[in-house]
Amino acid sequence: MALAEPYVAPALRGRFGRTRRRTRWSSVSHVDQIAIGALVAVTLLAVVTPWIAPHSATRPAGTSLVHPFHGFVFGTDEVGRDVFSRVLYGLRTSWLAALLVIASGVLIGGLIGLVAGAAGGWIDNVLMRITDAFLSLPGPILAIAVVAALGPSLSHTLIAVMIVWWPFYARIVRGEVRALAARPHLEAARLAGVGRVRLAVRHLLPGAIPATVVTASLDVGNLVLTLAALSFLGLGAPAPAPELGAMAARGLPYLLEQWWVPVMPGLGVLFLALVSNLAGDGLRDLIGDR
Amino acid sequence: MTFTSVQPTEVASPRSPSAPPLVTIEGLHVTFERGGRDVRALRGVDLSIAPGEILGVVGESGSGKSVLGLSMLGLLPTEPPPRLEGSIEVCGVDVVHADDDTRRRLRRRHLGAIFQDPMTSLNPTMRIGRQLAEVAGTEAEAVRLLDAVGVPEPKRRLRSFPHELSGGLRQRVMIAMAVAGEPSLVVADEPTTALDVTVQAQILELLGHLRDELGCSFVLVTHDLGVAAQVSDRIAVLYGGRIAEVGAAADVLERPAHPYTVGLLRSRLTLQARRAGPLPTLIGEPPDPRAHPPGCAFAPRCTLHVDACDETLPDLVSAGGHPGVAACIRLDVPLAEEVALVDAWPEVEAVSAIEPAVRLTAVFKDFELKSGWRSKEVLHALRGVDLEVAEGESVALVGESGCGKSTLLRAIAGLLPIDDGAIALGPGARPQMVFQDAGASLTPWLTVGELIGERLRSEGCGRSERDRRVREALQLVGLPAEVAEAKAVQLSGGQRQRVALARATVVPPEVLLCDEPTSALDVSLAATVLNLLGRLRRELGMAMLFVTHDLGAARVVGDRIAVMYLGRIVEVGPAEEVASAPQHPYTQALLGAVPGVGAAARRTRLEGEPASPLRPPSGCAFHPRCSQAVDACHTDGPELVTLRGSSGHRVACGPAHAAGGWG
Amino acid sequence: MTQFVLKRLAAMVAVLLVLAATVFVLQRLTPTDPVHAMLGGNASKAMIAAEKHKLGYDKPMVAQYVDYIGGLLHGDLQMSLRTRRPVATDLGQYLPATLELTLFALVVAVVLGGLMGIATAARFRGSGVLRVVLLSAASAPSFLLAVLGILLFYRKLGWLPATGRSSVANVPTGPTGLLTVDGLLHGRLDVVTDAFKHLVLPGLCVGIGPAMSIGRVLRSSLVNTMRTDYVRTARAKGQRESVVLLRHAVRNSLGPALSMTGLQVGLMFAGVVVIEQVFAWPGIGLYTIQSIPRTDFPAIAGVTLVLGAGYVIVNAVIDVLQAAADPRIAL
Repeated sequence: MALAEPYVAPALRGRFGRTRRRTRWSSVSHVDQIAIGALVAVTLLAVVTPWIAPHSATRPAGTSLVHPFHGFVFGTDEVGRDVFSRVLYGLRTSWLAALLVIASGVLIGGLIGLVAGAAGGWIDNVLMRITDAFLSLPGPILAIAVVAALGPSLSHTLIAVMIVWWPFYARIVRGEVRALAARPHLEAARLAGVGRVRLAVRHLLPGAIPATVVTASLDVGNLVLTLAALSFLGLGAPAPAPELGAMAARGLPYLLEQWWVPVMPGLGVLFLALVSNLAGDGLRDLIGDR
Repeated sequence: MTFTSVQPTEVASPRSPSAPPLVTIEGLHVTFERGGRDVRALRGVDLSIAPGEILGVVGESGSGKSVLGLSMLGLLPTEPPPRLEGSIEVCGVDVVHADDDTRRRLRRRHLGAIFQDPMTSLNPTMRIGRQLAEVAGTEAEAVRLLDAVGVPEPKRRLRSFPHELSGGLRQRVMIAMAVAGEPSLVVADEPTTALDVTVQAQILELLGHLRDELGCSFVLVTHDLGVAAQVSDRIAVLYGGRIAEVGAAADVLERPAHPYTVGLLRSRLTLQARRAGPLPTLIGEPPDPRAHPPGCAFAPRCTLHVDACDETLPDLVSAGGHPGVAACIRLDVPLAEEVALVDAWPEVEAVSAIEPAVRLTAVFKDFELKSGWRSKEVLHALRGVDLEVAEGESVALVGESGCGKSTLLRAIAGLLPIDDGAIALGPGARPQMVFQDAGASLTPWLTVGELIGERLRSEGCGRSERDRRVREALQLVGLPAEVAEAKAVQLSGGQRQRVALARATVVPPEVLLCDEPTSALDVSLAATVLNLLGRLRRELGMAMLFVTHDLGAARVVGDRIAVMYLGRIVEVGPAEEVASAPQHPYTQALLGAVPGVGAAARRTRLEGEPASPLRPPSGCAFHPRCSQAVDACHTDGPELVTLRGSSGHRVACGPAHAAGGWG
Repeated sequence: MTQFVLKRLAAMVAVLLVLAATVFVLQRLTPTDPVHAMLGGNASKAMIAAEKHKLGYDKPMVAQYVDYIGGLLHGDLQMSLRTRRPVATDLGQYLPATLELTLFALVVAVVLGGLMGIATAARFRGSGVLRVVLLSAASAPSFLLAVLGILLFYRKLGWLPATGRSSVANVPTGPTGLLTVDGLLHGRLDVVTDAFKHLVLPGLCVGIGPAMSIGRVLRSSLVNTMRTDYVRTARAKGQRESVVLLRHAVRNSLGPALSMTGLQVGLMFAGVVVIEQVFAWPGIGLYTIQSIPRTDFPAIAGVTLVLGAGYVIVNAVIDVLQAAADPRIAL
């Protein structure tokens, strides 16, 4: 029953960031660990594809329609191009395009969401009504319309998809920021005399990052599939370019006799989407739930 | 594991001394795994419960009290599954080893449960009637149960969804579900913690009535000895996952044997607590259940501590002072009488001579709530508040949830614009605030040093100067300098509250606003924080406005007490005077609802719940609940009038004014 | 309720106006001149000018937009450059096929997703193998599912047809245009079974990805709900675990799954376009794909507007369902 309290401070908890991180990584399932590794590998491969692809992606490498494993791992297509090399190049395009669109979505949407969430009031209202308008448009259909208007090319497709992809992130970031803004820590910071910009950047933004990263990583798979679908519809780069969706579409006439021509590019998309979905799950466990 | 030399069953139950116990717990250990580390929630608990008795299980956070209650129900969280040792026998069923289906049937036939938060404990998408019928069987029985627990218009309520009921009614529905089907045992886990003080008193009374009518046993898990004291026959005090003391309620409260029980009772904020100087406190904080000391868990905080305490876990032995048992090897040593309280706060100068630090004149604040497309409801949070806080003075603002007390603080802090009236502040530094949830008021990803230093940025002092002042501020609140490198998650609850204080006082404000800073803290920590606040405000010469729902805390903290009801001040005056001779019927009712430990605990209860600030009643807003209301109260809103011959004791009550002595 | 319907209608009009504006601007951005494209390379300057005047292309932009919107209000979606028929007529012809396929796929997605969500939440919490299998299904591009389905069920097993909507000679016409429904109405069971067989493969290909997404969201929502206080209350009452899950948890977990369903409908439109191409399904997807190389912008604009309207309607229905599931949501 001490009076002038000699305050005994309990030891600080979990002082070592490193131990915490290790337990987090071990909580990620093995499948997801492999997937994260595979995704890193895909990224590296995407950079060095031109040097490691066994054949050219656009010029014939042998006779046409050779069966898989008869000199060519995935066989050759109707003009004798090596399907494996084309799939490698296709993966590179798909992956880099997906990263680019996600990055632009996170940046544009994040900025709009942060400004709307931090400012509140009429700024929030205006920005969110605009976002809602974009969000209520059926994304892929709008993309088709944009590409149809601008003419088929990869960059037009990417621009179209970027236009419809950011509102989702604006919503996520704005929601996170609003939730954070309702916490007492923001009132406390305002009372401490912290300015508006510093409030947004130091007291709000860092809290919205984990949810955004997790959402983005779970979203990459969707994006890979959407881009592949658009490419399949002929809305990507024109003819000889090795794009997975377009390759599958042009291989359709050979489906019943030379199945590998349309199937192999499809499997490439499956691989990329699956690996990103698994890695996304892993990242969610690593960073924390939503 | 050696079993106790004294079997707990020897502790006579006052109800049915000869009947076999309904619940027998022996050597119960419960261990959870969290983040790769063992959390040892219970570490060898022996306990029995007789048919028809109410057992109060009292403990601080981390004591394992809720785990004990849930393990009797067989409802411990299952992800990951906890490790259980020992045995729990409830109504003849071995809960530890029985399969899921046996446990389920046990719950169905013999057990009932009441949980803390009635908002989250009822299914939000299912009508009350259907939820009740699941256990009551028929609709008629459901109506009878609702009527028995005091829900008005039970037939109509069957069609309601939980969100359409008030907090008190929801908890009554929860209780009706718990006692449906005539259970032998009802486990109530903090059933009143989420409720207002006046509603808490009603609910506790209801539990007592139900026991008398149904003859079932109750386990009342609570952090508040006062709550347990209201209705319990026996009390078990838990500390660090073990039982510290068990005995008849009156014995434990009046002749406590264990040093922890003694400390807990002394640090309680009662209406008799001392005001002249710091409150007696327990040093330190409750143990971290991930790292219990090898010996007695209380040893680090114990004044009777000897080396032997650190070596072995103490067994339950006869308490000596009463027929119960206590786990302490130093029971033979008489615990010192309360240390002579030599320390006293320095005298505060007379209030009236000093300039006000805050002056509120007829402050109004409404909030607009959207209740659908284009339809709005107006919440009248502040309905004309007049209040002054003098320089260096401490005013405690008391009221129940929804009375507008937190809104008032935020308005003074400048966080909310007001609709009408005026807030005049003194010339000193801007007001600062200490929040109820100190952890949430610290930005999680910034270090303590950055957070405290932020307030110095506007002063334009350099980096080393900032660091120095941060260290000083930490020192002032009793924290080591290394805390500056830590983030909020690494701190304990008590440390977080101290950091929040250091941040608020690094540049001492003219007035410090406190929003229930102790209500989320353990009993043994609350007194420590109040002492710290008392010392800081006097040393730094700050005025203080301290918001609380607890009259006991208000009396200790405030030089004056202001009582708020539905957006208005109904009574204000010198703290001791308001607490001992309240004039407003509402203050009197609040006082009556303070859970007391002594025999005088039963006083008049206030009916009903605070009216909604969406539709404040006409005239005096309190009249629908007031036993002294006359016709005029329905129409005339009374003004604050000074009691003649008092030093500024003012009350807004028509009948009281009419009785004379005012003006 | 009336308020809700009015509000939704207003929102739908707003979305359609935005869409129409977007489409209009895009149309003017088109590098190829629609009139040139329509008349071919040999048309004389005078012919082009006359045609432009006839179509109103020589008016100021704002006037053109007002004309365009005015036309839309009268159901005039302009003339298709490719088929030389009113786009509205074309859509009337192709829409029922797409509607039938989409509705079937939606049923597949909801039923399959619901079953999967409940089953995985009830039993296999975080079970590794199952998760990878389900994720694989969700990660497969619809055209891969389609080609694998054709190889297996058409080429190998010969159970299901690979192209078109029907192989019955005289198909009854009207009133709905949905072959399964019309068949039933005309008492032609052969038409119904035949149409159903044609629906199975494309429907599954469109629906399976959304089903997995819906199932995953429902599962994680269910797992969270099973940890809530009120589920603990239900257990404390001694309810069976299956009762706790189905009676107490499912309804409280529907919100996120319904939102996901709304989101997936948008993505499903893209899936439908792809699948119609693979299966030569005579719907508006195929119509769109054939219009793109010919830069038949009026056709694409019409499709965009119709699907946009469909999307808004579906999401309004989702809102109603959400309010029905949770009494705390007021319409």
